Parts: sequence; structure tokens; C-alpha cells
Amino acid sequence: MKDPIGYKVFRGFNVIFLLLIVFVTFYPFLNTVAQSFSSEGNITAGNVNIVPRGFNLETYRVVMADSMFWTNYKNTVLYTVVATTISMVLTTTFAYGISKPHLKGRNGFIALAVFTMFFTGGLIPNYVLITSLGMKNTMWALVVPNAISVFNLLIMKSFFENMPVELEEAAVIDGLNTYGILLRIVLPLSKAILATMILFYSVTNWNAWFGAFLYLDKKELFPVTIFLRNMIAGASTATSTGGSADNLTQIASNIKSVTIVLSVLPILAVYPFVQKYFVSGVMLGSVKQ
Amino acid sequence: MMRTNYLRVVAVAAAFAMAGALTACGGTPASKSTAGADVSVGAMKDYKADAAFKATAPLSVSILYSDHPNYPLKKDWLLWTKLTSLTNVTLAPTVVPMSDYSQKRSLLVGAGDAPMIIPKTYPGQESAYVASGAILPVSDYVKLMPNYQKKIKDWGLEKEIDGLRQADGKYYLLPGLHEEIWPDYTLAVRTDVFEKAGIQVPKTWDELTSALKKLKATNPTPYPFSDRYKGGALLTMSSPGFDSAMGAGTFHIGDGTRFDKTAGKFVYAAAQPQYKKMLGYFSSLVSAGLMDPSSFTQEDDQAIQKFVSGKSFVISANSQDIGTYRDLMDESLGAGKYAIKKITVPAGPAGEIMGGSRLENGVMINAQAAKSKNFVAMMQFVDWLYYSDAGQEFAKWGVQGTTYNKDAKGLRKLAPTIDYNGLNPAGTKDLRKDYGFSGGVFAYGGSTELLQSMMIPEEVDFQKAMKATKTPEPLAPPAPLSDTDREQATLISTPLQDYVDQGTLQFILGKRPLSQFDAFVAELKAKGMDTYVEMKNKAYEDFKKK
Repeated sequence: MKDPIGYKVFRGFNVIFLLLIVFVTFYPFLNTVAQSFSSEGNITAGNVNIVPRGFNLETYRVVMADSMFWTNYKNTVLYTVVATTISMVLTTTFAYGISKPHLKGRNGFIALAVFTMFFTGGLIPNYVLITSLGMKNTMWALVVPNAISVFNLLIMKSFFENMPVELEEAAVIDGLNTYGILLRIVLPLSKAILATMILFYSVTNWNAWFGAFLYLDKKELFPVTIFLRNMIAGASTATSTGGSADNLTQIASNIKSVTIVLSVLPILAVYPFVQKYFVSGVMLGSVKQ
Repeated sequence: MMRTNYLRVVAVAAAFAMAGALTACGGTPASKSTAGADVSVGAMKDYKADAAFKATAPLSVSILYSDHPNYPLKKDWLLWTKLTSLTNVTLAPTVVPMSDYSQKRSLLVGAGDAPMIIPKTYPGQESAYVASGAILPVSDYVKLMPNYQKKIKDWGLEKEIDGLRQADGKYYLLPGLHEEIWPDYTLAVRTDVFEKAGIQVPKTWDELTSALKKLKATNPTPYPFSDRYKGGALLTMSSPGFDSAMGAGTFHIGDGTRFDKTAGKFVYAAAQPQYKKMLGYFSSLVSAGLMDPSSFTQEDDQAIQKFVSGKSFVISANSQDIGTYRDLMDESLGAGKYAIKKITVPAGPAGEIMGGSRLENGVMINAQAAKSKNFVAMMQFVDWLYYSDAGQEFAKWGVQGTTYNKDAKGLRKLAPTIDYNGLNPAGTKDLRKDYGFSGGVFAYGGSTELLQSMMIPEEVDFQKAMKATKTPEPLAPPAPLSDTDREQATLISTPLQDYVDQGTLQFILGKRPLSQFDAFVAELKAKGMDTYVEMKNKAYEDFKKK
């Protein structure tokens, strides 16, 4: 069957419109990549759009030649993996628990979690707490506090609540206990939400710098975000603090783009792998009502 | 960006001050602690000015270290090993990235977890911590510091030091001391273009106007003057010559007040006729098309690009900027096809006056240090490292015979293999990166001779020219606000300053005619200017009585 003309026109416009949106969202990123490979003169002159002008690898070379960069990069990967694992275990189990209406004191647990969304101890008390727990200058100061994001917790809770109760009843009849149900029935059916949560948590942890800035005093423990942040600061304040290092007198915009590219690439690479789980209809047809 | 950071710091610090005050109620006040236990373990009994310091017992002292990305800290620096072998003191640094140094400092001081020595604190920044009691009132202990006292006496810095005093009459910061004012920001001009047009380098702001007019007539350029730093450096450097005190953006001068000598009291600088005159001058440049109106809004990179590509001929610069411009111009115009220079700051209607302070960023001491058994030795160490000639030379030049050599005339020269900022281009190693010397944490202040010993000859010439032509601005008398007043003053002065920034821009760009200056002053009054100035004057009177 042929599509009516009106629909074809509509589709044509649709394609053009969506391509425009793609371009608008993609352009800043391409521009950043192009800037990271361009010479300072061309960047300040505004010659760079999506093609690098005056090809320049100096900033990449300087950054990557620093062994501290790689040490800190390793830290970031480690912190992200550990923190995301801890967060996922805690969030999933907590969310599953409070998703069951028959749990006694359920509202109390929910209120407890939600309370922390609005009230916190504040910066100094947190710092004092972490310090007296002996977690300062260890990885645990970064991965344990705020392991559960209440926002994510609530999303997961409502996801679990929407899971057909009949599935679990069937599992009980087949002889599974609570843990078995969670691990063998619920979680395999929740890949979509798990993938989303892993993505949320890992992006947050990957980008995190504030916790590390607060609780770490040793350079070899810093995540790469702090390393790069300090480098940008050095580039933009070299003039006022009395020292521009000779081989790194690139202008700030070049350094900024380089750091963005370096820090965003790995996490960008995660998306395609996670994306295949963003599928709707996993539950389709599993229950007949 | 610095400004918002500053605001954040103030806000955070205020919160810390409160937190600190609360804990102080429960804990023991630091001042009591000196009595009782012995605090002089490791101290030298006969320590005096210009003597070498070596602790009689090895000790370790914690220090907050601002890590500069261009010369990141290394544990095997000669700086650390030599310092320990010279003084018997091992420094244990808490490494903080330079980008967020002040925030971390506030956090650590607020949480009572600060290292004993807290360097890189600018005069004024310490005020926020005073109420918490977490910082040592060092003025009570300067008797332990003979070099520090000697420098103040020799260089006549007593008045500057008085300016650091808080409402309790004590001061909490050991500032970096300069023998003389060290002017840095000025205008850089394209001397080749000036010569070609037959223009003398301008000595006054009026001469600058006529020079710009000629430049505009002889060159096909929209604006011969396009400034960077959002005009902040320009307004700051020109202020003293107009008998005013006003910067903009990150360059605000002090707290916006100015001491009026004839009236014997503080006034709000931006509400004075002198300020009007200054605004009038710059708005005349803009309206005549001599100065780029975007000077006050564009990013630095854009202004630099106009200058290095030959579209503009005048721009603000400090000694580092000149090098940056040259690097860029070698690329854009070609080496040898241009000439630029820092000129002496043009004189204004008030004459050849130069602003600036002889105090630099300095050191705060954790109040808990006074309880430490090594307290006296630590103070002697700080005194030696930061204030003795030998200590300052060590921090800046390193070790004689290793990193530098001295000839018969006392002229220092870097070792053949070592470079510093292009001073010895043949050197393959870097004095800061590979040895740790001349870094921002330890090396600053000192005698003019020491300061200029590492400058390129061109910069020394600029310094000499400034010194020869300019008289330093008189110092304002101390007027320290009490803790409660300070909080209120900040609440008033921050919006006031923002409003002045807006007004300044409107007047200079001609969006508001100068005939409305009186209305502007009335608006400032409506924003609490009088209350603010009154507070300041009251503090001034109170302090005078003490």
C-alpha cells in the first residue's frame, strides 16, 4: 500500500526536523573535539567550527605525558566501578524491600529516605563524620557516603511496584524463597531499570570531584577530574599567580576542550553497551489477566 | 569567576565562623594553652635575626600546600630534602589543588582539621576565621620571630601591619613583606606602530587620548584600544591617578571605601566627584570611537586576539602577559615585525600616584599549634623560611652551587642546566618543576634586589621607571569592623559593589549620561551606602581610641 502524499510530506519534514535537532545537539560536542585539536591562534580568532584548524597535539601530549594523569585516571575507573557496585546493591535491595506493600513500617523507611532529600547535616558535620570514621584519604570516603541516591531509589521502587504480583506468586508456588525471587525472577526482568540505574550512577561517579576534593589530601589518590580541573585553573590564572609554564601556555579554551574530550570518551563508550537494555516490552505476554 | 568564588568563600566562611564559635564554647580556648606544658622542644635558645635556623630536635610540621598544575608537587624535590637537612624540620604537606584552595582552607579551618601552617592567604581573607578562634592571633607571638620584626622595622612597614589588625587590636596573618610596592599591571602598546605614526609614548591619560586619535587616523582599524580583564585592570591602575579607588569585576580595590584626608573620614569612592571625572574620561574614549566598547564585556581571549593580530594597539598587561602576547604575535605577525612594551602607567589629574600594597599573601597559623610542644621551634622555622634573607633566597633560588651560582658581585645566575621562565633557555631542567624552588607557596616577598633578581631586564626597567616617576598612594588608616558589623557590612557592600559595577559600565559606554551622576549617588544611598560608610567610620574612630 502506498503512503498518502500528506504522510510522505510529514515524514520528510520529520526527517529534516530531527536531523536539525541532531545537528544542534551534536554541534557543540564536535566543536569541542575540533577545538581540542586546533591551534590557539585559530581558536581565539573564532576560525574553528567542526574541523580542526592549525592541527595541534601539544596539549594532549603534555597532559598525557604526566604520569599523575594516568594514576588519577586509574583511580577514577576504580572509584566508579566500586561506587557503582555498592550503590546498585544497596539501592536495589532497599527499593525491592520498600516496594512490597505488606512490609511492616514501609512508610517509615520511605520517609527516612525521603527526609535526606531535603535535609542534610551540611558540609562541616559531614567532613567531621567522615574524618572520625577514619575514611579520610581512603577510597571509602568517596564510595560509601551518598551511595543511595534517593531519587534513583524511588524510581526503582515504583518500577518494582509495577511488576505483576502474579509472577512472584508463581515463583513461590515453584518453591523460591524471597531472595530467590529477587535474584532469579525480578532482577532478570528488570534489566531496563538496572541498566538505567547503572548508567546514572556511573556517570555521576565518573564526573564526581567534590567528595574527592573534600576528603583526599594526597595527589596519588585524586580522581582525574581534580587533575583536569586544576589544570584548567592553571591555564586561566597563570597570569595572576605568576607563572606560566613554558610548554603549556596554551589558552584556556584549548585546554578545556582537551580535558572534556579526555574525560568524556570512556563514559561515552559505555552508552552503546547499555543501550541495548533500554528495550520496552520485556514483560510483554508474561502474564495473562 | 574569581568574584563568585570569593562570594562563595565569604558565605561558606560565615557559616564556618558560626560553627567554629559553637565548638569554641565547648572546647578550651586556644589562648589558655600556652601556660603550663613546655612548648619549646626543638627550639633554638639563641635564635636571632639573620642567624641560621636549625631545630635542636627533628620535628615534623603539617602545612597546607596549594598545588600548582604547571609545577605539580613532587616528593623528591631538592626543596624538601635540603629544607630538612638545613633546618631539621620535615614538612608534611596536605595537598590541595590550586583551583579550589580557598574553599578547602575554609573547610579545614571550619572543621578544626587544618594543618599547622596555612600559607597563601591574602590580607583580608583571614578576617572570616577570626571569630571561630581557630586561627592563632600571631601578633601575640611575633616576639618569637626576630627576622619578621627586623624586616618590618627596616622597611618601615608598621602602618601596613596596623591595617591587618582586627577589632580586638590583634592580627591573625603573617603577611608576605615587600621592601617596595611592586607594580605589575599597566598598558602594553605597540611601540612600532606608535613610532611609525610619529607618536610619543603617552605619559598622561590625556596624552593617551591624543595618541589614540592619531592611531585611529593613520590606521584602518575600528578601535585602536581594546582592553581585556573586562576593563578591571584598567580601572584599577588608573584609579590612583584620579584620586579615586575603584576597580571592576575581579579587580575591586579593597572594600569600596576611600579615606578622605582633608575630611579625616572614610567616604564611598564611587560616589565622589573624582570617580565621576574618571568615568568621564573613559566614556570620552568610548564615545570618540577610540576605545572598543566591548572592552568591558569581552572575554580575554577575544581582546588578546585583536591585539596580537594587529587590529588594536593598546591593551592591559602584566609582566607575564607580555610574554604571552609575544609568543602569539610571533605566530600571527611574525617575529621581528612588531614591538611591544609595558609603559609606565599614565598620570591622571591627581598626578603621578601609584596604588598597590607592600603586603603579599602570607601565612596563618592554626591556633592549636600554640599547644604543641614544638610551637616555638615552628615559629622560628616560619620566621627563618619566610622572613630571613637566607630563607627567602633559598625558597626562590634554591641551593648555591647546585641550582644557582653567585659571582663576585653577588649576582646570581642559574646553573647551566636549569631554566626558569626562559631566564636560561639552554637549561633542560626547570627550577620549579624539577627542584621545587620559586613556587608560589614559599617564594614571595623580600627585598627589591631579590625580587628583581629573577626578572628579565625589560621588566626591571619598567619597575625602575615606575619607581622613579610615581609616588605611592597614602595608606588608609585601620578601621577593623567587629564580627557582627562585618556580617552586616558584607550584606550591604556586596550589592552596592554590584550596583557600582553596573553603573560604571553604563556611564562609560554612554548608556547613561554623566549628568545623571547625582541620581546615581542617590541610588547608592538608597542601597545603604551611608550606613555602610558610617559603620566604617565608627570602626575607625573606635580603633583610634584604643
